[in-house]
Amino acid sequence: MRYVVTRLIHSAALLVGVSMLTFIFLRLAPGDFFTDLRLNPQVSAQTVADLRAQAGLDQPLPVTYVRWLKSVARGDLGLSLAYNARVAPLLWDRARNTLLLAGTAMLLAWLIAIVAGLSSAARPHGIADRLIGGGTSLLLGVPELVLALGLLALAARTGRFPTGGMVSLGFAKLNLTGKLKDVVLHAALPVAALVLGALPVLVRHVRASVLEVLQAPFIQAARAHGIPRRRVLFGYALPAAANPLASLFGLSVAALLSGSLLVEVVMGWPGMGPLLLEAILARDLYVVIGAVMFSAAFLVGGNLVADALLYTVDPRIRAR
Amino acid sequence: MQDLTVDYEAEGGTGRAVSGVSFELGPGDSLGVLGESGCGKTTTALAILRILPKTARVIGTIRFLGRHLFQLRERDLQKVRGADISMIFQEPAMMLSPVKRAGDQVSEVIRAHTGESWRECRGEALARLSEVGFESASRIYASYPHQLSGGEQQRVVIAQALACRPALVVADEPTSSLDLGTQAEILDLLSDLKERLGIALLVISHDPGVLAKLATRIVVMRHGAIVEQGALGQVFQQPQSAYTQSLLVARATSPLAPRRLVPVLQSASEDAVKARTLPDVKADQMPAPQRAEPELSADKGSPRYQEPLVSVRGLSKRYQHRRGLKTFGIQALDNVDLDIAAGSTIALIGESGAGKSTLALCLARLEQPDAGEILLAGRNLLKVPRPELAPVRRKIQLIFQDSTQALSPRISAAEVVREPLDIGSLGISTERHGRALELMEQVGLSAAWARRSPLEFSGGQRQRLAIARALALQPSLLILDEALTGLDLPIQAEIIDLLVELQGVHRLTYLYISHDLSLVERVADEVVVMHQGRIVERAGTAELFRCPSHPHTQALLGARLALEAALPREA
Repeated sequence: MRYVVTRLIHSAALLVGVSMLTFIFLRLAPGDFFTDLRLNPQVSAQTVADLRAQAGLDQPLPVTYVRWLKSVARGDLGLSLAYNARVAPLLWDRARNTLLLAGTAMLLAWLIAIVAGLSSAARPHGIADRLIGGGTSLLLGVPELVLALGLLALAARTGRFPTGGMVSLGFAKLNLTGKLKDVVLHAALPVAALVLGALPVLVRHVRASVLEVLQAPFIQAARAHGIPRRRVLFGYALPAAANPLASLFGLSVAALLSGSLLVEVVMGWPGMGPLLLEAILARDLYVVIGAVMFSAAFLVGGNLVADALLYTVDPRIRAR
Repeated sequence: MQDLTVDYEAEGGTGRAVSGVSFELGPGDSLGVLGESGCGKTTTALAILRILPKTARVIGTIRFLGRHLFQLRERDLQKVRGADISMIFQEPAMMLSPVKRAGDQVSEVIRAHTGESWRECRGEALARLSEVGFESASRIYASYPHQLSGGEQQRVVIAQALACRPALVVADEPTSSLDLGTQAEILDLLSDLKERLGIALLVISHDPGVLAKLATRIVVMRHGAIVEQGALGQVFQQPQSAYTQSLLVARATSPLAPRRLVPVLQSASEDAVKARTLPDVKADQMPAPQRAEPELSADKGSPRYQEPLVSVRGLSKRYQHRRGLKTFGIQALDNVDLDIAAGSTIALIGESGAGKSTLALCLARLEQPDAGEILLAGRNLLKVPRPELAPVRRKIQLIFQDSTQALSPRISAAEVVREPLDIGSLGISTERHGRALELMEQVGLSAAWARRSPLEFSGGQRQRLAIARALALQPSLLILDEALTGLDLPIQAEIIDLLVELQGVHRLTYLYISHDLSLVERVADEVVVMHQGRIVERAGTAELFRCPSHPHTQALLGARLALEAALPREA
């Protein structure tokens, strides 16, 4: 219990720290939302100053920060200058899509990694191991950008997959199965890009971890008791190998999140990526902060899950 | 088993581990295999179940209940393993998965061989756990291996082995890693279960005492071949082969024997170092109760009074750990007072958990005690400021039990010995290699082996290396924490001789921590008994063994006598 509470406090402190840093960096960056407007000769300097004052951008840093905190408490996360709408609902829509993408990718990537890693470790230097090893080396060498573009090209050429967006035009008119199929089709390529990008590292770590565990005497003892090979792999080797993998889980959340940013922008998935990019270019302060905080929260959440996983899986951690 | 031969293929060539071993074991019978480490006994046992590493090439026949084991397919063999023939390995902690509950591991074995549901398997597993003597089987079921003591873990392993009522159980050194009291318990349990369940037992050990308790017939192995076999009483009382005699002699105890051992073993040690084998012991050099005169001054029997080298005052240490909401504390050291005179050899005995290793770690400043002081030549070690710590640290060195883990396998032997010199920047860099070789020669290792990796040395040679490394810093006090446990008895004897020699040359003081009372009897001037973090008795060796005063000491000695009594002795 104490463990959980301590972790939660740490996470909260982390989020506060991230918000402060982001705020400082954004304000330190030259210009603001209205900088471009000033270049327009038809708009007077006074109007710009008024607009600035209205948006609260002329206040000192701590004041703006406190105002933002208040907006967090209120739940609307401030006002988007570009969209002239509250940030929270804007973000939430996009965040949901990102979560869908990243979450599916995580699940798939780990599932494939565990199976591939186990097969490689079960028979080192066997056929499966060589193929998987070669495949991951190849994937490791390809930058994610190229992967995403490559998949896009595939979509365009074959015409089987849509090349952007999350839903087709006639989405609302489809029945439930139709809607599901539609989303799946749209999500297939972005998820594939994310999974392929994350796989090499995960597979190799699973393989290394399981290989090490397979050397342990208790594995030989289990064999000596006549326990079937597959049960030894999944029931004995994998749980014992889970310790380092749980930590890797936390790291993979971070990697996948930053990867999803790129993939969304390139493949046109309406997630937080494109929104964030736009907002940064336009210097839409509150949207940027909101998006960054959301990512940070997702990361922290992922790490908490990893810690909880570790706690459940490894009894030795509990003993301390 | 008929004409079993096992070769291991390695990069340098093929090594023969077992050659032409044959024996028979009837139902309900018990056979003991006696031999030193490396003689092939474990390989023979693993061959029965065919769980040898891939580099092994096996020839010969093993028949079990009329079936040729080597002709079975892997799938059929899997059904035999655990259900018809099961195995108990040496270290129970390593045999159990650390992330699975103890009881589940027993249930798994049952599940693998029967088609029963998980709940039924669980019920059976609980029954098996009660069978091996656990009063609260459900508590043990729910515990993880690291929450159990060594003896409890071994009982769980035994429950696993007997779970499916096998006809044959192969036990490889079932009690070597346990302390004396627990050893006796486990041996009683095994012999009891053997009688009750009528299982055939194949016991492998380097300790004749263990075999005496469990086996009716004996096979002595050496270099992969059988040297002698026969009924236990006959082989132990009238050994035909000189090799068997040497194995049994190294075990003989006589409280008044001077510490330098038989000259036969001494000359053997020089050859052994070069050839890594124990050469043939000639029959006419066979030992009688006479021993060689010790070269050291005979009046080392009682330490002369002088300012003690190390003084421990009021040392206390408590370990806390939390389980759920409760906090458990173990008082590892409770107000310990100890004086160690310079040049003496003190033995620290006690059951596991008594605090012996904690004391050693505190002395070596690897653990911080909660209270008390440690005075080395008048200076309180615990209060020495950081910058002055290094030279003080060198005075006390530790030699650990497991030499494989204590020596880095990635560097050569010479580098291992020179490491402390490098760390302390002692001497000129170019001299250090020479000094390392010198130290190796001093401990009886040939300098030609300097480039080899520690893994290529045998157990006894690795300990010699560890000793050389410890000597590099010219310490005053050497703490040997179970350093000789697990070594074969003749090798133990050699190392003890070496240590005695070095003590004279370098004026060392030794603190032996051991649970092996015969060893303690042989080497120590004084014995200190610890129990639950306190020192309960301290006396000269002869005195303590003759008439121990504290009830706990009496219990410890009693356990040993029971084991020794099982050994048939010469009149």
